[in-house]
Amino acid sequence: MNGRITRRLAAALAFVALAAPALAQQDPDPIAGLDPASRHAVEALLDSARAEGLPTQPLISKTQEGVSKHAPGKLIASVVRTVFLSLREARTTLGPLATRDELTAAAGALQAGIPSAAIADLRDARRGKPVTVPLVVLADLVTRGVPRDTASRAILQLWAGGAGDADFLGLWRGVEQDIVSGAAPADALLTRAREIPVRLPPSKIP
Amino acid sequence: MPAPKLKAAVIALGLVQLVPQREAAAQLVSRIEAGAIVTSAPGTVPANAFSLTPDLRYEGGPLRIAARGSAWLDGQAWQVADGYLTAALSSPTRYHLRAEAIGDLSRAFYDRETRNDQIDAQARVHLVFSQRGGMWLSSGIARPWRVAVVSSVDMAGAGAWTQVGGATLTGTYTNFSFTRIASAHDSAGNAESCTARNLSGVAAQVAGNDCLRQSRFSDVQGTVHFEKGFFEVSAQTGYRFGADYDVTPDSRRWASATATVWLSQVVAAVVGGGRQPANPARGLPARNYANFGLMFSPWPAMTSGNVPVDLRASAMHDFDVDQAGASLQRVQVQISGVQSVELMGDFTGWETVAMARRGRDLWEALLPIAPGVHQINVRVDGGKWQPPPGTPAMHDGFNGDVGILVIH
Repeated sequence: MNGRITRRLAAALAFVALAAPALAQQDPDPIAGLDPASRHAVEALLDSARAEGLPTQPLISKTQEGVSKHAPGKLIASVVRTVFLSLREARTTLGPLATRDELTAAAGALQAGIPSAAIADLRDARRGKPVTVPLVVLADLVTRGVPRDTASRAILQLWAGGAGDADFLGLWRGVEQDIVSGAAPADALLTRAREIPVRLPPSKIP
Repeated sequence: MPAPKLKAAVIALGLVQLVPQREAAAQLVSRIEAGAIVTSAPGTVPANAFSLTPDLRYEGGPLRIAARGSAWLDGQAWQVADGYLTAALSSPTRYHLRAEAIGDLSRAFYDRETRNDQIDAQARVHLVFSQRGGMWLSSGIARPWRVAVVSSVDMAGAGAWTQVGGATLTGTYTNFSFTRIASAHDSAGNAESCTARNLSGVAAQVAGNDCLRQSRFSDVQGTVHFEKGFFEVSAQTGYRFGADYDVTPDSRRWASATATVWLSQVVAAVVGGGRQPANPARGLPARNYANFGLMFSPWPAMTSGNVPVDLRASAMHDFDVDQAGASLQRVQVQISGVQSVELMGDFTGWETVAMARRGRDLWEALLPIAPGVHQINVRVDGGKWQPPPGTPAMHDGFNGDVGILVIH
């Protein structure tokens, strides 16, 4: 009797153990782990993003990040709302043709305190060129303590002068190194920015 | 295996499977040691041998498999000697608790006459207090083969670990209980009572032509592991509790130590020695040993400790991402003196991925990362999530920062 029960129990557990992952894979929930109230708030933001043609992946990603970092549900919903509003403003600033990467980078820059006018200036300086990396570097520099006007102006000048992604990433590394070595963030940026050559002929610089 | 143990094992494995598992990239690591080993035991001639010891480990999500074997040059021929194959299935940590089911297949080889194999299974429940300490309880059963004096072995134990500075201290208590089998005949073939055969006077049962006697003993062992820069040292000492019938005098106390000096990222010199206690459950006597040699680690195995410590990711001095095939990116970080490095980002769905050790200080993960802008965090030894060095960063909104990774 005991042997039969044991075998049935083993068979049932084996079935459930094998079937559970497969069943779980059929219906992946990208925002699992949120409490009902926060989940409702995030789902409403996702619906709004879809309705406005904004990418939903950055919102889902921010939710997953918050869950993985064990942030409270209320905070996660609040941060996702900030990302949503930033994406909306970024799209207004960069226009409907902006890529998802550009929107994400611009949203990050807006969250770092960069005014939308500075982002629009970058877009206008070299229309048609992806402005992703300059925005990423700009957001980081402001986060590190470079005054936002100084950072915006320096990045705009380099961008308008034809600087490429490698130039901006190299600039960022140099500034980071100088700040770690004790330099004032603004001084570090201005010093390193002078090392980057102007790549466009003067006639092409707006 | 008795029915209750079967039930317990089935339920434990079922529970481990039912707990949701986090995805993690599978990692493979290996190393090989080459050197000389010298052993001696009372009543035997000391043996010297040249040994080759390959070591292979695989970790993928909740599954961990490790295989290690050694081959000795015995006279003019190679002899397959000690080795083991271990598989462990682990649940995620929930409320400071983690369950683990472990199965082992091992071979012990002392000389041509003294060798045997054993299969064992055990379940462990780990309690992690913090990043610097924890404990576990374990229970299991072992079945040795080719051993005439033992039936099966029940094992139960507990352990605790803590991190003090750069050292990891571990203490274990393990109780062994098994049935010895002895012939009920003397050397001349005359039948004797089991009581007469049992010199200690402890009652024994008669089973056919055999005398059965329950034996038990307990081991208390302390281990310290310390590593600093290119130098590692591990030392252990123990004491065995039990009746004189079960514990021979030469196995009451033991101690051993191993030192490893890394000469480069992939080559280390290893020297060690000490005393190993007898293993009555496997019929193996106590022995002294010394070994020295070189360890080659093209993909070095993880160090033996698995203890998280609180280190900052900023201690990393290099971070690099490059193309590794059509759809994969190779993510590498360099950091010394740590036990684990993990990363997560939008490209992993913010699921934690363990990086594999690929050199003395080099950690690596192969991941499918599409071109574009990604967010990434890394952490060392279970510490705080931080942006990797060499990447622009921004606030994550959760009182931390996140790195920005641009893949072209």
